[in-house]
Amino acid sequence: MDGSSLKSAQLLEQMRLHMATDAGKKLSKKVGLIYQLNIAPKKLGVDEEIFVVDLKKGEVTKGPYEGKPDATFSFTDADFLSIATGKMNPQIAFIRGAIKIKGSISAAQKFTPDIFPKPSKL
Amino acid sequence: MAMRHLITGQGNCAPDGASSSNPLGNFANALLGQSSKAQSIKELPGAAVNVPSTSELGTADPLSTIPGSENEFKQHQLPFARGADFIRGSPAEDWIQSFRPPGLPEFAGPEAHFKEFDQIYNNTGATFGPALDGPPQRVLSGVLHSFLESGRAGVPFQPVPVPALGLSESDKQCIRDRSCIMARHILADQPEEYIQAQVNTLLHSLDIDSDYRMKGPLHGPFPEMEEYWNQSQSAMRSAPMHNAADKWITEFGQQNNNPENWALSFEQQYGPNGWASEFEQHQSQMAMMGGTNMANLAAMEQSRMLAQTLASNNDPKFQNSKFFQFVSKMSRGELIIEDNEVKQGSASQSSGWADEFQTQYSANANSWADQFVHEEISQGADKWASEFSSEHNQGGLNENWIDEFSKLHVGDEWAEEFGGGAFGESSADPWVDEFQNQLSASKQNSGASRGVYVFSDMNPYVGHPNPMQEGQELFHKGLLSEAVLALEAEVLKNPDNAEGWRLLGITHAENDDDQQAIAAMMRAQEANPTNLEVLLALGVSHTNELEQGEALRYLHRWLQNHPKYGGIAPPQTADTLYGPDVIRLFNEAAQMSPEDADVHIVLGVLYNLSREYDKAIASFKTALQLKPKDYSLWNKLGATQANSIQSADAILAYQQALDLKPNYVRAWANMGISYANQGLYEDSIRYYVRAVSMNPKADNAWQYLRISLSNASRADMIAACDSRNLDVLQKEFPL
Repeated sequence: MDGSSLKSAQLLEQMRLHMATDAGKKLSKKVGLIYQLNIAPKKLGVDEEIFVVDLKKGEVTKGPYEGKPDATFSFTDADFLSIATGKMNPQIAFIRGAIKIKGSISAAQKFTPDIFPKPSKL
Repeated sequence: MAMRHLITGQGNCAPDGASSSNPLGNFANALLGQSSKAQSIKELPGAAVNVPSTSELGTADPLSTIPGSENEFKQHQLPFARGADFIRGSPAEDWIQSFRPPGLPEFAGPEAHFKEFDQIYNNTGATFGPALDGPPQRVLSGVLHSFLESGRAGVPFQPVPVPALGLSESDKQCIRDRSCIMARHILADQPEEYIQAQVNTLLHSLDIDSDYRMKGPLHGPFPEMEEYWNQSQSAMRSAPMHNAADKWITEFGQQNNNPENWALSFEQQYGPNGWASEFEQHQSQMAMMGGTNMANLAAMEQSRMLAQTLASNNDPKFQNSKFFQFVSKMSRGELIIEDNEVKQGSASQSSGWADEFQTQYSANANSWADQFVHEEISQGADKWASEFSSEHNQGGLNENWIDEFSKLHVGDEWAEEFGGGAFGESSADPWVDEFQNQLSASKQNSGASRGVYVFSDMNPYVGHPNPMQEGQELFHKGLLSEAVLALEAEVLKNPDNAEGWRLLGITHAENDDDQQAIAAMMRAQEANPTNLEVLLALGVSHTNELEQGEALRYLHRWLQNHPKYGGIAPPQTADTLYGPDVIRLFNEAAQMSPEDADVHIVLGVLYNLSREYDKAIASFKTALQLKPKDYSLWNKLGATQANSIQSADAILAYQQALDLKPNYVRAWANMGISYANQGLYEDSIRYYVRAVSMNPKADNAWQYLRISLSNASRADMIAACDSRNLDVLQKEFPL
């Protein structure tokens, strides 16, 4: 997550820490899927940064997944944040073309706002 | 919803999730209904006076289903004969009466119908098999088997002579209903006439009158029926019959380069009445599967999603197409499907076709289909496709919808993306549930574009003699939402009042609305570019919005503008600041005056930006020793602890903040977040509810509340959350 200027990187850092907590462990037990997130700063598919949210092992890492993730999402920085904080429904985002999904749809459907910890405000 | 689902009718395309008919087919059918309607009007020139009313038309239809009417095909090549009967003015009522089977009461309505049905059903066991146990039934089963055989072989059913069975009226009805439904399933690939002929021959041989009741609309949820339906569906899939939907999609894929071909080949394959039978089949399924309300809502949601998808296509021709408009109307509830009829919704439209369609199309789906078929045939050589396109041409559109559809550019990509799997059964619910919520949310988002302050609509403080003082008092009393209104009145009166804007920004921040806080603070900064509090507040709010660059810039400017530390801050040259450099400068400042709490506060914010949470916590704790009564500082400490997963500590810090300022919405919302992040959703709900009841405009808290409600399995309260019904929520979740 270091060296990324994306807003999403901050949330993913929180997610990384979150995975070590009891709630995080419960989450990976419940979901048990590996997501790769291709996050573009502004325009979908342009200058993407790649993160892996591994809810099998309970890890969040930067860089593409070695192997085949259960689902790969492509979205913009802002759209990812909107989804993770419950502002935007992932399915609606998909219908609008704000997300591209590769891989298993049943896995993609478990990618919901509640898997992400919510950032607290100063 | 993928295009593929749309075509195959999988996923949540079908209104009740179980029907396999494809929704495009339905829409097309609806459109064809339009053409059929227009046609019939053309066919009765000047006959308006004598045209029987809707119900008469509908109930009159058993004419086409009287026993042994295999030859009706020929009869209907003279479509005017029937119309002429009407026109001649023979009293329609009598005419119908003569066809009503003796001994049967007037159509008693679907409820009564089903009481009987259920009765038989329950008496004879849960499956069809046991129903054939009794002596007459054993005889019957022979007949039914030969009926099935003939159906599979595709030859006309030869009536088997049977002894008098002494079937009761309700038994007859049972057989009638079942054979009708069965025939539709088994002979789904056959023309409608064939199915009817088969059924009628069977019924006739059993001395059962075929009457309109057998196809009457079915209402209400009947679990047994559904079970039966599901069984027959799976049986159908495994049987070597062709699956209409699959073929359809294959063919579409092969031929979509040439829409005309597509239409023709579809017709060749299914015959002109293929549509009608498919449509009817689907209709009866729909009616069978559930209450109309459910179907309506589902259809509306479905079409809304479809409309969304379609709206994203930029082709102007497509946007103007009737197909698209129809879907849009459906999605807006202007048109609804009820009892298999297209009706106009409450949002009434002057365009007449829906009305006419409804009038034309009686409660009996079969009659519609029959009529359609008759009209088709009466047209002789005219194919439906050409009819349909000419219909469109009359409507002022040069392209027919097939053309338009084939020009869509979505197909491949969507199919590919969905290649990996199929939607689960459960998918429909959250999609549908959250859609409404989503729409309103997106509307609000677009309304409040970044950095533009959005004033409240109704402000009782406009015209107040001294709104500034009023605002300050309200703020100190902790009535934040009221203070916002008073301060808005102030800045409307004095747009250059930097202090007014600043306090407004602070109030918004405490009210957990960073977007508005930033907008207000930017106005404050315009009025007074060097105010340190404003610069710090902007830095904090941008940090909360995860906007690192902006946050760094304002915090750096704070240092530049500080009378004491301005000297150590080099003038900003580069466009982007490097976080560690700024932190180094502030650490220098902290060494210069370790007693300055503000420097430690800024450092804490900077360490939050660089995600060095331990250092941030240390900075805030140092600042708190100097300023223990600063509630916003306690909240900052708590939020930092929460973001570095020390949620339990965070809750203690928030409690300190709330002890100092009980109406601190941000701290209440943060409390909720900390509980939710620990998986304590039940607890989080109470804090979120407290936050939104103090500031009903706290969108973040509303969104988080919704997530917690669904995670705490309190789906029952989600509607209250979506409608922002505070009374219900506060009663349900007292703190």
